[in-house]
Amino acid sequence: MTSETRKTVGLVGLFDDPDSLMKAAEACRDAGFRKWDCHTPYPVHGLDRAMGMGPSPVPYVTITAGFIGIGVALLMQGWMDVIDYPIRIGGKPLWSWPAFVPICFELFVLFAAGSTLGAVLFMCRLGRFHSPLHDSGVMADITSSRFAIVLDAEDSKFSPQASEELLRKAGCTDVRPLVENTGEGEAH
Amino acid sequence: MSSHSASHSPVATAPPFQSGGSLQSAALAMIILGGAASAGALAGDEARHRLAFAWVWGFAFVWTIVLGSLFFVAIQHITRSVWSVIFRRVAEMWVAPAWLVGLAFVPVAVFVFAFGAHSAYPWADPAVVTGDHLLEAKKNYLNPNAFALRSAIFLLLWIGFAAYFVKNSLAQDAGSGGEQRAGKMRTASAPFLIIFGLSVTFASFDWLMSLDPHWFSTIYGVYVFAGMTLSGLAVITLSAVLLSAKGKMGSVVTGDHLYSLGGLLFAFTCFWTYIAFSQFMLIWCGNLPEETVFFIHRVEHGWKPVTLALIAVRFIAPFLLLLSRTAKMNAGRLAFVSVLVLVGQLLDLYWLIMPCAEGHGPRLGWQELGPVLLLTGLLVFSVARFLTKHRILPSGDPMFEKSREFHL
Repeated sequence: MTSETRKTVGLVGLFDDPDSLMKAAEACRDAGFRKWDCHTPYPVHGLDRAMGMGPSPVPYVTITAGFIGIGVALLMQGWMDVIDYPIRIGGKPLWSWPAFVPICFELFVLFAAGSTLGAVLFMCRLGRFHSPLHDSGVMADITSSRFAIVLDAEDSKFSPQASEELLRKAGCTDVRPLVENTGEGEAH
Repeated sequence: MSSHSASHSPVATAPPFQSGGSLQSAALAMIILGGAASAGALAGDEARHRLAFAWVWGFAFVWTIVLGSLFFVAIQHITRSVWSVIFRRVAEMWVAPAWLVGLAFVPVAVFVFAFGAHSAYPWADPAVVTGDHLLEAKKNYLNPNAFALRSAIFLLLWIGFAAYFVKNSLAQDAGSGGEQRAGKMRTASAPFLIIFGLSVTFASFDWLMSLDPHWFSTIYGVYVFAGMTLSGLAVITLSAVLLSAKGKMGSVVTGDHLYSLGGLLFAFTCFWTYIAFSQFMLIWCGNLPEETVFFIHRVEHGWKPVTLALIAVRFIAPFLLLLSRTAKMNAGRLAFVSVLVLVGQLLDLYWLIMPCAEGHGPRLGWQELGPVLLLTGLLVFSVARFLTKHRILPSGDPMFEKSREFHL
């Protein structure tokens, strides 16, 4: 085991109910924070607006992937039915587009749904095996009963004292440093 | 979530309008114009034959609007939806004139009984039925008496349920027994929805599909249902946006509420397309002459542009206009799409009905427009009257305050 060092990478403010989290999120939004996030054990409606989040870019991924799906479906069926294995069915032309529509629809849905799931996972940065929230000892709380605001130290508005002050003024009674264990784990 | 639920100001309980105003005047003008045109078309067999088809067109338009709104009301009751409570009275004002659908059916029946040879329905003419194997085989179902009997049963059921839902909802306004009435309406909506599904299917077979009695399609009822639901959603959305813009609904309607209406409009646009294409593809695939005749009648004799316009107005335009999330919350965009959907419904019914008058291209003279103007005018007139008599927000509903606080 290599030597383990603990580095402070931000602040965690813990709340006991979603309403106080919502008010504090509005305060952070109004203070101009950009690198920060909220963690809740269940979806809290209206939090996106309280955090000042703009429209999600996910729909653009969905629609683009959907149309790629239609393109793939047309190429696939065109190649199969017209070029590679042409069989005339019911006296209809080899390129019979009405017969292709259901497959185009299915691949539109498949590509759109798959890429949406992928884009959401990617943008939530899910699939990480490790998060500073584990090191800070708050993961168990915010996945069961409590609500957290996490301010990243890399944000230009961040300063340890002023940011803690901001959270406390917004009604937070439990502010903790966000720490990250380095030297071990991160490399793998 | 109730985080921002500062206590709401009470909503207006007075009717939104003192008098019918310009809406009622416009409706009156439509009634007079449409009535005169329809009366004029009564003279002469040729004009009367055109009027017969035109009347079915106008009748089906009013029918789908009213029944689509009634379906919306029942669905909200049975699912106990929160978001839609604030829109329920807006839907109910289109349901309240359900008796008008019954009234509008009377001339259809008169045509079938009195002018069999010149009605829109070939099976109503004994001279056509005799010797026609298919029509003789269908005679026990497709004859004027059975047609009128079935129609009367359907119409009475719809008018009865419509009156029941509207009466109980209005009674909630008085303030007491809201919870109990909500329960009664929820219970009634279950049998209604079963009856609705069956009756709309058979009514669309009787009133629309039997215009070409040799042809059949088992998906036809679902196709008509898709357009019906779209029409109901469109009048509800359009009236909610317009009443809100005039300040008649206070500040109750938010983008979050509108989003669900926009989402339903978008979903049923896709549903209509799915059903319409399913019908087309199966017929194209089977390639049987007795089935393909439906589409042949709709591409020949100058009907192709109408068919293409239908695809553009019914699918492509509303699909693209409602695709984004912000579009579904934008009142102006929704109002525009609602108008487009209603134009699409008129076009769809025209496309279903008019090619059955064989050997003609699309015609749109005063003979065709008369009944649509008259019946739509009567419907709008009734709605305008409703607006002078009842409050527009069902504030006596036990879920009303919860509905105001609805967030996506």
